[in-house]
Amino acid sequence: MNRALARLLICLYPRDWRQRYSEEFEALLLAGRGGLRTAANVVWSALCEHIFSIRGGYMDQPTFGAIIKKPSAFLPLAMSLTALAMLGGAYIFSLSRGHGGLVREPDEGAIAHLWQLLMAGQMPVLVFFAIKWLPRAPRQTLYVLALQAGAALASMAPVFLLNL
Amino acid sequence: MIEDIATMCGTRLGPGTLYGAIARLEQQGWIEPLPAEERRRPYRITGKGLKVLRARLSMLKMFTKAGLERLESL
Repeated sequence: MNRALARLLICLYPRDWRQRYSEEFEALLLAGRGGLRTAANVVWSALCEHIFSIRGGYMDQPTFGAIIKKPSAFLPLAMSLTALAMLGGAYIFSLSRGHGGLVREPDEGAIAHLWQLLMAGQMPVLVFFAIKWLPRAPRQTLYVLALQAGAALASMAPVFLLNL
Repeated sequence: MIEDIATMCGTRLGPGTLYGAIARLEQQGWIEPLPAEERRRPYRITGKGLKVLRARLSMLKMFTKAGLERLESL
């Protein structure tokens, strides 16, 4: 196979895979017979690598700390905690004005609408995070998802407990 | 390696398939890379890989034996 085609095919692989294997893989492609069948095999393997990506021994395994710093990991957490903080703030404000805490109102106020927006808005982010990171680092991603679920439940608990 | 597999099994692996397998074997810790020879990189089986291979081959041997015995009894 000629060098230009080999490099082009290698470009189809994910970046971390290329960093680890590109040199030796290129040597293998250059040494072997080219042809449509080989090219199709490499294209298919590159596609599979994008869908079910693996982490070779020398590739950096993303740690829990590295994953939690990703926007799609911390945004849902921040949204849940903001929603919880809003409820807490509203509760304290209500107590300070002598209303005896939060009560269910037929006409939902701004706080309720914001809470709903924050909780619903994090769902697409959560789905994106799970799709992107579960195949790459299942265990660490599950920890983050558990944390996100915990934060969401903590935010929902007062709504159900106080029957708001 | 491709030639070796072709001789042994009669199936010629594509380079993408071969490197998919190598990457997964390395990820499992069953093989490890040796220092590169020019641009080629040899690999060797690890202790853990030997254990797994031995277990898999033993299971395959038992399976083959049982299968052949049943075939003979037909």
